[in-house]
Amino acid sequence: MDLGFWTLQALNALQLSMLLFLLSIGLTVIFGLMHFVNLAHGSLYALGAYFGASLAAAGGYWTGFFLAPVAVMAVGLVLYTLLIRRMRKSGPMAQVLVTFGLIFALLDLTRIVWGDLGLPMNAPDILSGRVAFLGIEYPAYRLFVVALGLGVFAALAYVLSRTQIGAMIRAGVDNDAMAACLGINVERLFFIVFCVGCALAGLAGTVAAPLLSVTPDMGLHILIPTLIVIVIGGLGSLKGAIAGSLIYGFVQTFGAVLAPQLASMLIYGLLAAVLVIKPAGLFPAKG
Amino acid sequence: MLELQGLDKSFGAVHVTRNVSMKLERGERRVILGPNGAGKTTLFNQIVGELTPDKGTIHLAGQDVTGLSMAGRARQGLSRSYQKNTLFDGLTVEENLGLAAAVHTGHATRLWSDSLAKPEVREIVAEVANQVNLMPYLHAKVSEVSYGVRRQLEVGVALATRPMVLLMDEPTSGVGPEMSKGFHDLLNNLPRDLTILIIEHDMDLAFDVADTITVLNYGEVVFDGLPEAARGSKLLKEIYLGSWQDA
Amino acid sequence: MFRHNTLRYGALVLLAAGALAHAFTAGYFGLEILTEILILAILVLALDMVAGFGGMVSLCHGALMGVGAYAFALLSTKAGISVPLSMVAAVAITGAGAWVIGTVCARSHGIYFIMATLAFGQMAYSYVFEAPIFGGDDGLGGISRPDLSLVGIDLDDSRSFALFCLAALALVYGAAVITLRSGLGRSLSGVMHNAQRMRALGLTVWRVKADVFGVSGMIAGLAGVLAAQHSMYISPGLLNWTVSGEALVVVILGGLGTLVGPLVGAAAFVVLKHEVSALTSYWHLVVGGILIAVVLSRANGIFGWVEARWGAKLDRRLADTTRGTEAQEVTGDA
Repeated sequence: MDLGFWTLQALNALQLSMLLFLLSIGLTVIFGLMHFVNLAHGSLYALGAYFGASLAAAGGYWTGFFLAPVAVMAVGLVLYTLLIRRMRKSGPMAQVLVTFGLIFALLDLTRIVWGDLGLPMNAPDILSGRVAFLGIEYPAYRLFVVALGLGVFAALAYVLSRTQIGAMIRAGVDNDAMAACLGINVERLFFIVFCVGCALAGLAGTVAAPLLSVTPDMGLHILIPTLIVIVIGGLGSLKGAIAGSLIYGFVQTFGAVLAPQLASMLIYGLLAAVLVIKPAGLFPAKG
Repeated sequence: MLELQGLDKSFGAVHVTRNVSMKLERGERRVILGPNGAGKTTLFNQIVGELTPDKGTIHLAGQDVTGLSMAGRARQGLSRSYQKNTLFDGLTVEENLGLAAAVHTGHATRLWSDSLAKPEVREIVAEVANQVNLMPYLHAKVSEVSYGVRRQLEVGVALATRPMVLLMDEPTSGVGPEMSKGFHDLLNNLPRDLTILIIEHDMDLAFDVADTITVLNYGEVVFDGLPEAARGSKLLKEIYLGSWQDA
Repeated sequence: MFRHNTLRYGALVLLAAGALAHAFTAGYFGLEILTEILILAILVLALDMVAGFGGMVSLCHGALMGVGAYAFALLSTKAGISVPLSMVAAVAITGAGAWVIGTVCARSHGIYFIMATLAFGQMAYSYVFEAPIFGGDDGLGGISRPDLSLVGIDLDDSRSFALFCLAALALVYGAAVITLRSGLGRSLSGVMHNAQRMRALGLTVWRVKADVFGVSGMIAGLAGVLAAQHSMYISPGLLNWTVSGEALVVVILGGLGTLVGPLVGAAAFVVLKHEVSALTSYWHLVVGGILIAVVLSRANGIFGWVEARWGAKLDRRLADTTRGTEAQEVTGDA
């Protein structure tokens, strides 16, 4: 186990973390801001992968990369107007059940439109090679995923801390009633945040497609890791999302190579511990 | 029976309880008065166990309960009623009392028999129902009875654990003057050896039922003594009405 | 706290009659479906106990069922313990595990409680999936049913096994009713309404939640044992959270907090699944749609809706008819 081995695993961990970050940031801000538990977030990720794969087959990787998130955002818009807006005031169980129903429904809708077999999607040519990096040769595409995740993190950090809308979002997460009293159109803010969250989920799916298999149940597989990330990291905050993603990515990756039988149990044990001791997570937006 | 020594509590920069000490003898009825923001509720919550004091001790019948949980103190004989009705709405009056009584008798955790069918539980339920005038309403659902009856039940539930010390948080809150008189009668109906500590706003009621009065202002005890002495106190007038009389 | 009313008794009688009639008239496939319904009914009964009567919505009950199944399979096939003893042990093990989960999660509420149970369920799932003793993805086979030849019953016969499961369901229903009507059950109801008040009265709240969760776990474990005996083969998929999710769907579909509703839900769900699956492979779309529809309708599932509309009227009608007869008897000789 030389430096090359550790570098390889660290990069793998980082790549997994960044993928999860793209998914979890949308979900955590939605939960923190709207107090809405959207279990169907994983399904949006799957839709992103499917849209991406189809669009890429028609017009190349970058067509999928840029248009799939838009498509998923459109789906999110429809879901919001038809269903989610009505459930906003309902209790957590009703939201869990409805979004759980959405998971099932979207699962089969995906199968109806795209069939049961996995869809292939290739990385773009300029990213299909390997790059010499810290003593090893690492796939360029995976480095791209890492860079993308960090880029999105930087962009969101800027928006949240330096812009007006970012301030409004943070205010809304902190105290939505008070924010509304201050004249902030909280409803419209929720809508914008929700759409951006959906777009990011779609982006995560598109970006993941060349790496994982595009199958109807990919949304189900990624849902629990995403929930773990936001619960451990802390609800409603950017810091929480990145922290949770990194913790999950590294524990899972290194656990899988160092102690394969314990890896999964370890991460669930960590989740259970956080839920019981510090339910709001490590870096929650409030409290 | 109940002894507070040097209780102190701050929330950040706000010093809500300042070195409060108090001693209640067995069977004593004491009322705590004080203007809004004097820290009565915070003090109450520390005695009951919902808040932990920063400094000081609380002794119940000689035992130090300062570190004990709310449930632990209840099992030691401390009971409280709430200012806002905190009842089990979907259940009947009898079932509400039964829940409390069952905890006291130990039937609340038994798997093989209905607690409300047990004679020990039924005995307590009947006794308390008599004490707080709930006999006519035993089988009515809480949601069906009037606010005044619910207030009585609120006290009843607290009594059904057969406590040694009863803490009442603004028991006549939201209730009209005839009901207040009823409360006076209710208190007289309670066992004489039950120690009662009441937070009240209603001065007349306080002077009516109290053996002793404690007045809090800005978190500290400014008066501790007999009602007659408090009645004529210039200090009290100042605290409640402000000193805008001629010097 | 649980009470029977006319409608609930009626529904129980109908369900029992229907099950018996079906058991004696149906062919092989009909009996298989009946057994599936009965085992699912036992599982969702366990779930309704904690979710409907205790406010503890659990997404680990599928995993608990799986624990019961695997414990039974391992004890009876690999540890050489007799089938009846393995059954008892499996139920006890599952109950103990559930008690621990209940204790650990006792202070979590709402969505956090749901996710905590999900975490524990997935922990069990991944452990069973990865530890070689459980056979991994291949699962465990060679499981046998209890030997009742002493009383002349052959449980390898589908009809006998279905009736065996019906008997188990009746037993479990009785146990659930006794638990919910006991002092513990009343305290649970108090805890669900207002845990803080119960604490202020001196109740050790976490213990009540854990104890009920433990009883519920035992019932779920029995469902697992029967599931293992039914198919004589088990795989890790039994513990996946989607199984727990489906159990929750069934409880909601039937009627949360009615105890009888989930039984109705189980029958409806399994029948619907088989009917729809025969027509299309998009069964999940139907489940999803139904779930969304039930939640949006704000009705408490099928049975809950029926009870809300007609339950009170039925009780009053029955009370009136008996009163009428009494009055006639009194004035009869006028």
